Amino acid sequence: MSSQATTMKISDLADNTGEWLRGTGPESDIVISSRIRLARNVARFPFLSRANVKQKKELEEIIRDKIKDSDISQDLCYLNLADITPVDRLFLVERHLISREHAGGEGERGVAFGKSETVSLMVNEEDHLRIQVIRSGFELKEAWKTIDEIDNKLEKKLNYAYSSRFGYLTACPTNVGTGMRASVMLHLPALGMTHHIEKVFNAVMKLGLVVRGLYGEGTQVSGDLYQISNQFTLGKSETEIIEIIESVIPRITSYERMARKALVSESREQLEDRVWRSYGMLKVARLISSEEIMHLLSQVRMGVNLGIIKDIEMKTLNELFILTLPGHLQKLEGRELNSTQRNVIRASYVRKRLEK
Amino acid sequence: MKCESCNKKHATVHLTEIVGTAKKERHLCEECAQSINTHLTKIPSPTEILTSLINQVAPEINEMSKIVCPVCGLSYLEFRSHGRLGCAMDYTIFRKGLIPLLEKMHSSTQHVGKVPSRAGKELIKKNELMQLRSELNKAVEKEDYERAAELRDKIYELSGDNDED
Repeated sequence: MSSQATTMKISDLADNTGEWLRGTGPESDIVISSRIRLARNVARFPFLSRANVKQKKELEEIIRDKIKDSDISQDLCYLNLADITPVDRLFLVERHLISREHAGGEGERGVAFGKSETVSLMVNEEDHLRIQVIRSGFELKEAWKTIDEIDNKLEKKLNYAYSSRFGYLTACPTNVGTGMRASVMLHLPALGMTHHIEKVFNAVMKLGLVVRGLYGEGTQVSGDLYQISNQFTLGKSETEIIEIIESVIPRITSYERMARKALVSESREQLEDRVWRSYGMLKVARLISSEEIMHLLSQVRMGVNLGIIKDIEMKTLNELFILTLPGHLQKLEGRELNSTQRNVIRASYVRKRLEK
Repeated sequence: MKCESCNKKHATVHLTEIVGTAKKERHLCEECAQSINTHLTKIPSPTEILTSLINQVAPEINEMSKIVCPVCGLSYLEFRSHGRLGCAMDYTIFRKGLIPLLEKMHSSTQHVGKVPSRAGKELIKKNELMQLRSELNKAVEKEDYERAAELRDKIYELSGDNDED
């Protein structure tokens, strides 16, 4: 694990994205990614809201060292969040390497992540340690296998706070037990357009699952991207929770495909027009807001899936969802930008990417 | 305005009595109002109203309100207002208040998932047994008796070498 030239590292990342956005894996036309995170705390230390500066520092050092010793991955790099700029932190949030709360937190805290950005370990977030694995497409089981192994390796070095009754003890009782949140990110434009999305939400909620926006809890839905994840963490095993989510996703994806088919057969011209107009806007517009781009990319993505547009790769589109976010644009430009400046840069960046 | 009965304290109770067609107003301090207690039943204080409300909504809060964790110093009330616990020990100290909360959040209060290996072999076995039993129940519900028999044998095998069950 290296922490050398960390700022260099962040800039190096700016023109690429993590492996989980490459648009491969099962059902990747609709399932963008599968993600699992585990919340863990170190025994005999207070949770972070009651920890003093010294304890936080001590925790950060212990966990950072243990991650280093655990041989999780050769190319893990570690960043201390207190040492980097707010724009850098925003950039990491946009890449799903850290949470918004972690970025906005205080004191000694950090993140370790691998080159492919499929594994990240947040130190001193809401819990002492949050492990995350993201994979492209619908691959929750594989994500579980990876994260379980990482957790086993760390558990040999760290004494986790655990009780036989309540499982892994977490700062918030909504995470106690498995400490696991498994989520799948879905692109559901046709269900949105045909107003059937509410039905999906209701069905999903009955199973004890929740629907959230692109960046998790409390975030707005944009670009027709939804995250479906488990609400409960206690009383069911990790595998059972994953099975519940796995059982519902194919029903949603086939529902979305049905809605797309219906759109094609009932209003082909309107649909094609919408898709091509969106593509046209991306190619010619001089100012694009972050909200507008999500909408345009969503339409084009569906157009590519339906074979209406043939000359863009899915990977490019998936990446553009992330690369055109405010933190990324500022990182690319190497300076802070106000919202109008961002809209100009965003439009010119997209034009360039689509010319390639 | 002074109390018209004792003429000392501030009048906080204002009564309107209607006798026949005549309206009569009386201004009393709380003490005099209670000792006169002509038509009045005791007026509950704001604290009493609050307590009874809390008792109706979340009965455990009143009972738990004085409890403070000796390890991290967090009080149960602080936990309820911020929703975050202060240390692992809180799960024991606030147990009585937490159980109904966990039941509401997760529809369960018993962990059945992963066990850290250092938590000991016994615990791992106990959890495995618990999971097998829940699977057995499901198999019986589905009338999958072949699977049920398999699970039953596994349970016997696992629990056979000790009499914990």
